[in-house]
Amino acid sequence: MSKKVGIVAGSISRFDNPRHTLQEEMCAEAVKMILDDVPDLEIGDFIKKGYACCYSYFSDILEQQQCMHWIIHDYLGLSGVPAFRVESGGATPIDAVVNAALWIRSGMFPVVLVVGWEKMNELPIQKVNEAIAIAGDTDWDFVSGFTYNAFYATLETRRMHVYGETEEDLAEVAVLCHNNSLDNPYAQWPAQHGFSKITVEDVYKSRLISWPYRLLECAMTSEGASALLLANEEMTKKLTDNPVWITGVGFGTDTMRPGDRPDNPAWKGLYPEDEKIWPKTIPRPLSPYPDLTNFGSLRVAARMAYKDAGIKNPRKEISLVEIFDPYAGVVLAGLEDFDFCKRGEGKKLLREGVIAPDGELPCQLSGALTAQGHAVGSTSIAQVVDVYWQLSNQIGKKWGAPGRQLSKPKRGFVHGHGGTGCQAGAVVLEV
Amino acid sequence: MKQPGPEKVLREQKIDEKYWENWEREGGWRPVGWKIVEMNDGPTLNDLKPEQFMIVHRPHADFYHHSYGKVSKFFMGLLEGKLYGTKCPKCGLVYCPPRAHCYNPKCRLQETVWIELPKKGEVHSYTVMAIAWPSMAHLQPLVGAMVRIEGTNTCLPMTMRNIDPEKVNIGLKVNIHIEKQPKGDLLDVYATPAEEPKPPKRTPEELKRFREDMEKTLAWVRKTFGPK
Repeated sequence: MSKKVGIVAGSISRFDNPRHTLQEEMCAEAVKMILDDVPDLEIGDFIKKGYACCYSYFSDILEQQQCMHWIIHDYLGLSGVPAFRVESGGATPIDAVVNAALWIRSGMFPVVLVVGWEKMNELPIQKVNEAIAIAGDTDWDFVSGFTYNAFYATLETRRMHVYGETEEDLAEVAVLCHNNSLDNPYAQWPAQHGFSKITVEDVYKSRLISWPYRLLECAMTSEGASALLLANEEMTKKLTDNPVWITGVGFGTDTMRPGDRPDNPAWKGLYPEDEKIWPKTIPRPLSPYPDLTNFGSLRVAARMAYKDAGIKNPRKEISLVEIFDPYAGVVLAGLEDFDFCKRGEGKKLLREGVIAPDGELPCQLSGALTAQGHAVGSTSIAQVVDVYWQLSNQIGKKWGAPGRQLSKPKRGFVHGHGGTGCQAGAVVLEV
Repeated sequence: MKQPGPEKVLREQKIDEKYWENWEREGGWRPVGWKIVEMNDGPTLNDLKPEQFMIVHRPHADFYHHSYGKVSKFFMGLLEGKLYGTKCPKCGLVYCPPRAHCYNPKCRLQETVWIELPKKGEVHSYTVMAIAWPSMAHLQPLVGAMVRIEGTNTCLPMTMRNIDPEKVNIGLKVNIHIEKQPKGDLLDVYATPAEEPKPPKRTPEELKRFREDMEKTLAWVRKTFGPK
């Protein structure tokens, strides 16, 4: 049996805050776009022909609802159809995509619909921060007074200390993402702030959140939904003549608490090449990689996905990348953990324009979490959809911005993660 | 076979049961107000039309009674002003946060033993919070540090006092303190510098920006909570 998994269609109901539209209504908007794109897909086929659904939302607390996916599933007219929800913090939506791909590869389901959403405006913002932060260890991380902003800030401070990253590097990442989002009709930044480009000075003017991070370097809190229709090779070819294939999937983990990472015995010796890269002037922890500078779960997920897709040299073989960047420094760390460069050199790819929209390896073309938005359960599904539209040459149609379509991209890489990198997933997409 | 219960209460800091009962009742889901708004909506920014929405204000209160399990000794230690960690008798790794079982893959979840820890450590990394917990907002800008307690193989996140945010740096030696009136959670623990801090290198622009950020943060605190 072919192990190919195809993307038949993908859609987004835009990110904003507030949306006011109910979760099931945003999901219906997204799924309706898929039905419009795939006239041969019947909702009634799901039960008759043995298809399935995989749902993605992060927080029962944010939604003030447990088992929200039961409402969504029913609302879409799919009652009876096999379905469940995956949940793993920020990794929720990428895990839903990985899970759906593995379901198809197992041969159990010929077609799987993935739907993800989040509502993040219904609690006061401090309580939203709290609802997110209790994905950290509530006895040992959260009750230190740190929010996620503060934890990611300590990780970035470590990168600045060990690698020499600067505040300007972080601001430049924010500029890249925000300006990339300006043609994206699904993005929250232009919906709220208009369509003018920003500069490093604008980032510096935005308020400090937790040094070194400022407001424009942090993910937005968003509401929105997105959907992906995946199928096996035979059904993909039946349902679309413009398919994109998921040729690699991966997922990995690291410790719950970032403070446990520097001396974690489980990581010692796992990546000897990375362990060698350590400044002589800084005391060497027992496990120098990932320490607090990098994200080990991202490395495990990426290498698994590359192996699965038969990729030997990711820097040469991948055309575009969407990194899950709740904070600007994660883009730079990710470039290293995904083997696009050596550890500590993420800033070089930024400074040399490699990840710019017209660079060799364009990153964050959607605007990603700081500009497209971060409705958690929808985030990575939407990023996969953005890369799928690029690979299937649909940016002109879907964004109404043909100038933003890359010229014949071959392969895309999308990653997602949760917590402080506690769990991560990755997919390789290929025309 | 034996039955495990009932539990015997050895020591207790009592709660005001009536207050919390009432608090839970008030957080009982019924709307305390509502509004009707009009806003453009639609699945893309190329496809918006005006819609009306009704929004209810709906409180929801929770009150947990949480056990610290087999690492309760750490928190009981805080009540006595002592800092405890655990040590694996097989591999020697020392944990704070403590683990009742060693997570070194070689040790096959070996049970650990308790040891008292020195109240000294070193900053492994740090941040300066301009947005802290709501209950700590009056302390902003607040230094948060990942502190490696002397002799441990872990870092414990905690806030710092008596430190100029401009001067905190990785490698700074710190003293660890426990609140005089501990409440029984990690927030009872904080750090102060144990040596003259050596600030990180900043360019003149970075330093100017940093000082402006601290001033803005302090101005907000003064405006919100009154002068210190």
